[in-house]
Amino acid sequence: MTARLTLAGVSLAFAGAPVVQGIDLSVARGEVLVILGPSGCGKTSLLRLMAGLIRPDAGQVTLSGAPPRPGEGAAMVFQSYRLLPWKTVAQNVAFALPGRPAAEREARVAEVLRLVGLARVAGSFPAALSGGMKQRVALARALAPRPDFLLMDEPFAALDAQARELMQAELLRLVGATGGPGVVFVTHSVDEALVLGDRVVVLSPRPGRIVARIDVPFPVPRWQADPHDHPAYAELRHRLWQLLRDAVLKDPASDFHRPEG
Amino acid sequence: MQDRPVATAHTAGRPAAPASAALNRRAGGLGDGLGTALLRLGFLGLILIVWTALARAAPPGLFASPLAVARAGWMMAAEGRLAPALAASLTVYLAGTGIAVVVGCALGAAMGMSRTLARTIDIYVLALAATPRVAFIPLIIVALGLGLQAKVLIVFLGAVMPVILNAYAGVRAADAELVEMAIATGAGRGRVLAHVVLPGAVPYFIAGIRIGATIGLINTIVAELYTAISGLGGLLALYGSRFRMAEYLAVVVVLALIGAGVTEALRLVEKRLLRWREAG
Ligand SMILES: Nc1ncnc2c1ncn2[C@@H]1O[C@H](COP(=O)(O)OP(=O)(O)OP(=O)(O)O)[C@@H](O)[C@H]1O
Ligand SMILES: [Mg+2]
Repeated sequence: MTARLTLAGVSLAFAGAPVVQGIDLSVARGEVLVILGPSGCGKTSLLRLMAGLIRPDAGQVTLSGAPPRPGEGAAMVFQSYRLLPWKTVAQNVAFALPGRPAAEREARVAEVLRLVGLARVAGSFPAALSGGMKQRVALARALAPRPDFLLMDEPFAALDAQARELMQAELLRLVGATGGPGVVFVTHSVDEALVLGDRVVVLSPRPGRIVARIDVPFPVPRWQADPHDHPAYAELRHRLWQLLRDAVLKDPASDFHRPEG
Repeated sequence: MQDRPVATAHTAGRPAAPASAALNRRAGGLGDGLGTALLRLGFLGLILIVWTALARAAPPGLFASPLAVARAGWMMAAEGRLAPALAASLTVYLAGTGIAVVVGCALGAAMGMSRTLARTIDIYVLALAATPRVAFIPLIIVALGLGLQAKVLIVFLGAVMPVILNAYAGVRAADAELVEMAIATGAGRGRVLAHVVLPGAVPYFIAGIRIGATIGLINTIVAELYTAISGLGGLLALYGSRFRMAEYLAVVVVLALIGAGVTEALRLVEKRLLRWREAG
């Protein structure tokens, strides 16, 4: 049976204030699900729920049938890389592989670093790396324990446009090359959602609810054919923009100017 | 981890951000090792010139020139008066400060990890830190006598406070994002502490140890003057009371050298431990 990450009727509140409400989601191994939503709508909170870092106030989160536990089956990638600055690149990757025999750990570290193209900086400290390289180390660290799911929280948002595009293609290639873990990818960017996602869910502003589910029709593998040229791209992009815009404008807490009449 | 500032002057020794090091490197042309050594040597020359001038100006018998001090120091060393005193003082100093570093780091880190422990004892630690340690000396003498144990305790009490307070602050300042990352990989408390919290607190630990080592040296002399007279403090008392200023100042110079040596050693340790801050 393929691994599956499922949220059923999940709600979460902080100090009584709802953050997400009634979320139903399901991702299988090998799929890329993009969560698209405005600031503060609870995207990061959803990933924390999936990682087992927090528990929902209502509903159920299950990873292959059981509540998720940190470090078991899902790995996170964060926008701010979160590398341990006092560890070398190789040590940072090894940090995600505790309790394995040293030889096995070293072999796996070398393998994933080769996969992300960073074998040559294995002994460097993160301070010496560019943003894109740091994020590739973080990706290597996440992939090292062979997780069933990658939970990625706006991982490329801090990169410049060019690095971001390269990393998007790199991610799709890596997901293919590592036996296809499922990916839950959080972003603000409509373009990123369309390039990466097999499916996209759009959230409303806080409290986050799912306002749309969209299947992305572009041919797979997408890192080989640029989906921007696909005839449906512009139309789909426009639709997602509308959804996001409407969600934000309808939000009573929004500061945005509402058109009159 | 919620951050609550530690209200104390000791945290003034907070580590400088790594960015400032990079800035200095770019701004200062003589920022490299050789340049620093030359600048320091030049400044030493300046001190010696001013010192010589002051010695000339002072009434005879109240001060001594650098040359006289050097000669006195040489004589003391040659006649075997210096080495035993130095050994006695270093024993007291290193024992007291060493125990303070171990106990202070452990207790401060424990306070940083456990809110309950911190809430329970922080007020006592702060109260003790604010009390002049000299006030405890009569009690210590009553309890431990005038010997080595009493001296080591006096040094320990002085040195341990800044170590505790800085270690506490360092553990509390742990990067919550890195802690979350570690927990997300399945790390338990021990792994988070060993790989995330403690390494991140190293600059704080060193800042605390640096201040503690200074106070420890001061307290070494205090202890040698207030308990059984001994060591370098004993020599200060001896030559001070007889107005033998050349010998007196030679002892002062030895103390200054110990202070400089310890500071330099700590700088090397820090450089080694914080190697990762240098890009490359
Ligand atoms: N530990 C917490 N305690 C209290 N409130 C929290 C906590 N974590 C998040 N929140 C609040 O919950 C809401 C959702 O936060 P979350 O970080 O999940 O949103 P997000 O969609 O990831 O936002 P962003 O786009 O800014 O990353 C926000 O209003 C945030 O202030
Ligand atoms: Mg977020």
